[in-house]
Amino acid sequence: MNKLAAKYLRPSQIPTKACHGCGLGMIENWLLQAIDELGFKQENVIFGTGIGCVGRQTFATWGGDNFGATHGRALAVATGLKLAQPDKKYLIVVGDGDAASIGTSHLIHAARRNLGVTVICEDNMGYESTGGQFSPTTPANYVTNSSPYGMAEPGFDPCDVVKAAGATFVAETTATQWHQTVKIVKKALQNDGFSFVHVRFPCNENFGAYALGTRDTLKNLEWIYEHTQGRKPDGSETDFTWETGIKHDVSNSRPEFSKIMRDMNARVQADMAAKAAAAAGDDKTRDDGHGTH
Amino acid sequence: MATATGTRTEILISGFGGQGVVRMGQILGLCAINQGHRVTMLKSHGTETRGGYVRAQLVISPEYVDSPVVEHADVFVAFSQPAYKKFYDLCDGTVMYDPELFENVVDDAPERHLAVPATKLSKEKFSNQLFANRIMLGALTRVASLDYEAMRKAMLEVIPRFHEQNLAALDFGYRLS
Amino acid sequence: MATLTVSTRVGLVAPWVEWEKRCTDGRRLLEAGTYALTEGAIAAGCRVFAGYPITPATDIAEYMSKRLPQVGGYYVQSEDELAGMHACAGASLGGLKAMTATSGPGYTLMHDAYGWSITNEIPMVVVDAMRVGPISGITGAPGQGEFYIARYASHGGNFETIVLSPSSVQEAFWLTIDAFNLAERFRTPVTILTDQVISDMWEDLFIPADYDALDFVIPRKHNLMMPFYPVGSADLDVPPNLIGRGTGVCVSAYTHTEEGYDIEDMAAQWAQTYRLINKIRHHTDQLARYETLGLEDAEVVAVAYGANARTVKTGVLEARRRGVKAGFVRPITLWPFLDELYERDCRYVVCELNYDGQLVREVMRAAPDKKKVHFMGKSAELHTVAEVAAGLEGVARSNRVPELPYIWTEVR
Ligand SMILES: Cc1ncc(C[n+]2csc(CCOP(=O)(O)OP(=O)(O)O)c2C)c(N)n1
Ligand code: SF4
Ligand SMILES: [Mg+2]
Repeated sequence: MNKLAAKYLRPSQIPTKACHGCGLGMIENWLLQAIDELGFKQENVIFGTGIGCVGRQTFATWGGDNFGATHGRALAVATGLKLAQPDKKYLIVVGDGDAASIGTSHLIHAARRNLGVTVICEDNMGYESTGGQFSPTTPANYVTNSSPYGMAEPGFDPCDVVKAAGATFVAETTATQWHQTVKIVKKALQNDGFSFVHVRFPCNENFGAYALGTRDTLKNLEWIYEHTQGRKPDGSETDFTWETGIKHDVSNSRPEFSKIMRDMNARVQADMAAKAAAAAGDDKTRDDGHGTH
Repeated sequence: MATATGTRTEILISGFGGQGVVRMGQILGLCAINQGHRVTMLKSHGTETRGGYVRAQLVISPEYVDSPVVEHADVFVAFSQPAYKKFYDLCDGTVMYDPELFENVVDDAPERHLAVPATKLSKEKFSNQLFANRIMLGALTRVASLDYEAMRKAMLEVIPRFHEQNLAALDFGYRLS
Repeated sequence: MATLTVSTRVGLVAPWVEWEKRCTDGRRLLEAGTYALTEGAIAAGCRVFAGYPITPATDIAEYMSKRLPQVGGYYVQSEDELAGMHACAGASLGGLKAMTATSGPGYTLMHDAYGWSITNEIPMVVVDAMRVGPISGITGAPGQGEFYIARYASHGGNFETIVLSPSSVQEAFWLTIDAFNLAERFRTPVTILTDQVISDMWEDLFIPADYDALDFVIPRKHNLMMPFYPVGSADLDVPPNLIGRGTGVCVSAYTHTEEGYDIEDMAAQWAQTYRLINKIRHHTDQLARYETLGLEDAEVVAVAYGANARTVKTGVLEARRRGVKAGFVRPITLWPFLDELYERDCRYVVCELNYDGQLVREVMRAAPDKKKVHFMGKSAELHTVAEVAAGLEGVARSNRVPELPYIWTEVR
């Protein structure tokens, strides 16, 4: 175990059951680096996840408090949890299936509310824990176990979706961009609002094997890297290009969800107190804390 | 007829939406509660309110009310022809109706029908029909032998506005019969 | 295993019989069931409501949106019911008591969240104000179609559930407090299975003046140490886990260890299941809430819960007036099912608001002779007193429910 892992993770839960060479462990280390550089304490960071390889292989590795929601529901749980524990930092690490498919409504509404969490969407371009089916982020025409003739459905870019919904920090990066990823995650965690970080990483076992024809980690990473550059090593253009980097940053520009709620409560209670004070001086006013019709 | 101060009393009020059916039941119910009675009120709900009728079924009793369903109304206040037709059979007692709203009543039991010209009187006295419901409530207070003072108080508690006119209308109805 | 002795003398067996005697300072109102459910929750210390509006539970959401900010709580209008219940789970894990409310169409969306909350032993209260179905049925009409769904509120088996059903506005108030208490003690979601009539009905309602003075409300406590999950144990009153205090607690969808770590192992599956089932089964004596009448001499006993228990009870009294030796059982605790209420060897007439027959099947299972259990199903409207009396009379005199319009008697 490296120094960061020893500092923040649970020895009993490491190594995870992830396939050899899977990018999940590496990205988690980068997250730890960001946390460490920001000086966050373990007890102040809540680690939430979903179901899938991303969920299962990261759940309970974090040394602090953990929750592993059902498939796609991490943000629904976090919405309630944040109200009860508003001062904590939330790292919500989920798959593309969790975030961009089964849990998209929660993703959109968490962004709309500006829920104070940092979502790390670890995108292996498919449903890998169920054996490699396509997802809304599988690139067009690629073969998966449920797109044997090539991915025919149009996909979408989850960054566009959350930005449109009101996220205050949106960035895209990949498992081939260590320093950029750490920088982005640090910025994301400093936003008191909804931050979304989309990280593509290779699944050797399924996406690599079926879509790219190789289980070789390096080759799969290389394929991702080429698509961030738009060029193959031979100089020819790739079939498409991912623009990585910060896509949208209006960090701390609008109030965070739980703060909105607390501010409203303060307003309501101040109003009540004023009314009660007025009523104390006017005994004709009925003291009525309950609803009337 | 049983009265609200004796044993179980069943009151059925029905009409179209906007005629103050539920509001009337609410005042009635609160009045009884303030006098120490137990009260249930079922009100019709959902599509019913948009389509045909609104209905309030009240049961007033000195004891806990088991069945809240009005199956033998002591008083039935009918505000519309369809409501009258639909629920007439559920009434064993007095039917109160407003002849301005409908006139076609069953003629086998004239002694059980009480025409209360509430709309006409409201128009005459207040130059609009807004207070017809309160006139009817006043008349009902008398018919069901409910406490008039308690009814005045309950009405003011439930309806925040037009206190003066509402009191006048209630009084008008109460002194009618 | 806990045993239950059914009281045939006391009419009502429930903790609020005592509470009612002790609370005298308060106000008497004319209010709806939804109001009582809301105020009961506030009185019990509920500080988060997350849900999605639906008839006839909408008013609970509206009342909550008004009341919670006044007491420092939070109203979340979630994107759907599934999100609502998950948000309640999150809030409860963070240390706040939480509730959601819905009716059938929303209730069926909650199974995923139920499973997660049950397995993680997360206290909360879920209200299902049942209406007639399937699906949207007749929107404003009552039903009792979720008797079994509430028991099997999630897939996968291996758990017990607690389900309570009130039959008056006042009872809805007390029972909601009770539901929150049970949720804390048993560390599990408690379902209030009510119906459109009780939700929408207005009735005299006593509301205590000072909620803080209600010493029978069980406050939230926190479990800050291992074991986070007392697997293999049926203990009650284990405080709920808390996320946010850095205890290192782990909460997940998987079969878990004491720490909450996911594990794939028969022994762990056994130990977890032992806990989820037996923490409830071993304490049914603490969960029994019911009302009976005339069981001493009854030859035919009417069984009903929720709103129609009221017309049914009047029907029983009417039948007795006509010389029928009729009795009445109203289970308030629907699950765990109180078999002991049906020990008497006599005829039973089960009245419920569905035609398929749900409660009746459990009574058939629990009663000494299933052939002596009769069914009077009705849908979208309460049984009338006349129907119930006729049914009881028919069974008493000729062992069968007479043919009545819109009354279903077959069970298969
Ligand atoms: C409600 C529900 N539907 C389906 C599944 C099965 N399932 C588990 S993980 C998964 C896909 C996960 O995809 P993703 O979120 O991208 O995670 P990955 O395994 O690719 O890391 C599916 C379909 C489930 N657990 N729950
Ligand atoms: S299946 Fe793919 S994503 Fe899952 S652990 Fe293996 S390599 Fe990683
Ligand atoms: Mg994936």
